[in-house]
Amino acid sequence: MPTDLENSLNSIISVYHKYSLEKGNYHALYGDDLKKLLATECPQYTKKKDADTWFKELDINSDGAINFQEFLILIVKIGVSAHEDSHKA
Amino acid sequence: MSCGMSQLERSIDTIINVFHQYSVRVGPRDSLSQKEFKQLVQKELHNFLKKEARDEKAINDIMEDLDTNQDKQLSFEEFVILMARLVHASHEEMHKNAPHDHEGHSHGPGLGGGGPGHGHGHSHGHGHGHSH
Repeated sequence: MPTDLENSLNSIISVYHKYSLEKGNYHALYGDDLKKLLATECPQYTKKKDADTWFKELDINSDGAINFQEFLILIVKIGVSAHEDSHKA
Repeated sequence: MSCGMSQLERSIDTIINVFHQYSVRVGPRDSLSQKEFKQLVQKELHNFLKKEARDEKAINDIMEDLDTNQDKQLSFEEFVILMARLVHASHEEMHKNAPHDHEGHSHGPGLGGGGPGHGHGHSHGHGHGHSH
């Protein structure tokens, strides 16, 4: 039986595919896919940085899509920021 | 707190809560000592890190690798890198175990066997021409 933490890690994979399988390559989030993901999953993180700015920041290899590894950079950034917020509450 | 959260927010929330459950135990309250990290791996990651969880030296090696500022403590910033690595490893495992007779995108079980049947791995249709 996976632990809660392990389930949460696998759940992050499902979140990515919810949006990446919409169209095109199975492991690519295009601009509008990322926009939808951010708006649905974590809208509070688009206040300081809009979806287009996030896209440019995450698309490290500038191929016009966010692959799975690039998506994990978003997870690290949101995680660090959510952890900081947890101490402000 | 959890009612209005998205799937992604719930996952991040769990990561932070588990980190804090262990980090507050001894010494600095917002970072993991070697002992706290060992307890966390053995209790919370024993399916994902099956081999390592039984090997104290392996756990210490992981910690040393993550402790980039070498203060013998893991901050959340250092710890979250392990989370990303494990998500990546589990995803790779899901593809390694994916059924080959499927068209389109499909996954088999991920790390620790979490996968179809446990409701955590998945295979997808979404109009890519594969049927369930």
